[in-house]
Amino acid sequence: MAGAAAERKVIRVLLVEDEEIHRVLARALLRSAVGGVELDEAGTGAEAVRRVRDGGAGAYDLIITDGKMPVMDGHEIRAMGVTTPIVGLSSDTLPPDVDTFIKAGADDFTPKPLSKEKLVRILAKFNLA
Amino acid sequence: MDYTNLRRQIISMKKSLFDQGYLDEQFNQLEELQDDSSPNFVDEVVALFFKDSSRLLTNIEQALEKYPQDFYRLDSLVYQFKGSGSSIGALRMKNECSMFKAHCNDRNLEGYRTLDDSSSIPASHSLLEQLHLIPWLTQMPPVTPEDEEGACHSEAEAGDIFSCKHKHQIKGPVST
Repeated sequence: MAGAAAERKVIRVLLVEDEEIHRVLARALLRSAVGGVELDEAGTGAEAVRRVRDGGAGAYDLIITDGKMPVMDGHEIRAMGVTTPIVGLSSDTLPPDVDTFIKAGADDFTPKPLSKEKLVRILAKFNLA
Repeated sequence: MDYTNLRRQIISMKKSLFDQGYLDEQFNQLEELQDDSSPNFVDEVVALFFKDSSRLLTNIEQALEKYPQDFYRLDSLVYQFKGSGSSIGALRMKNECSMFKAHCNDRNLEGYRTLDDSSSIPASHSLLEQLHLIPWLTQMPPVTPEDEEGACHSEAEAGDIFSCKHKHQIKGPVST
């Protein structure tokens, strides 16, 4: 996955978040803090799965997802057969909340709100920086 | 119009919000994201917060009245409220939400402050309405060292600007 991203030279991130304020913040962070990143957005876990399936193999290099959302939570994305690295993003940050994401198949977790530092760390962790 | 005093009061108000723990570093991050390509970014995010929070506060109050034992519903609403508040750095409100959620998890709101308490979620939210004044700072003449030195650090003055806003029904910056 990281190799494909390097050849493409553009990193594609899918943000799964139903609240506009978080999407606005993510757009601004990606615009100003990190270059070469394209951001797609989905408002529910179901829409995220649809975008991944429609985009084909390697459609996204990373999925950053909220937990609780209408229709389908972010926790359920992995169970739908998505193999893209997933990072949970939530304002519920107690150990059981983080465990819920990890046990559901997320590769990492970061508490809301997203920040420049968190984004850089996440991208570096998955060799996308 | 003399913007100096107005600028001082807004700066003082902002500092007071930080000093009293109503705002944290996240708000500074919003200001850093504001640039020529997004000159109204802070205002937009703050406006989004208040749009969400007004709706959520109403829903929380209605849920407490009509479904006081539906802790899942209450938890979901407060989850959204907490997340939205964290985006603008509303630290104290975020902490209040965490406490409320803990009571929801225990399925027992007894012992939690009532929504009328001065330290409750609505009270913290109400104080944050002063944030609407901060974008004015970018539309005034630049700050001078004298402005910075003259900024008052008292809570009373920070409160005065809020009262003034409502008393005079100020709609926006007034050009000279």
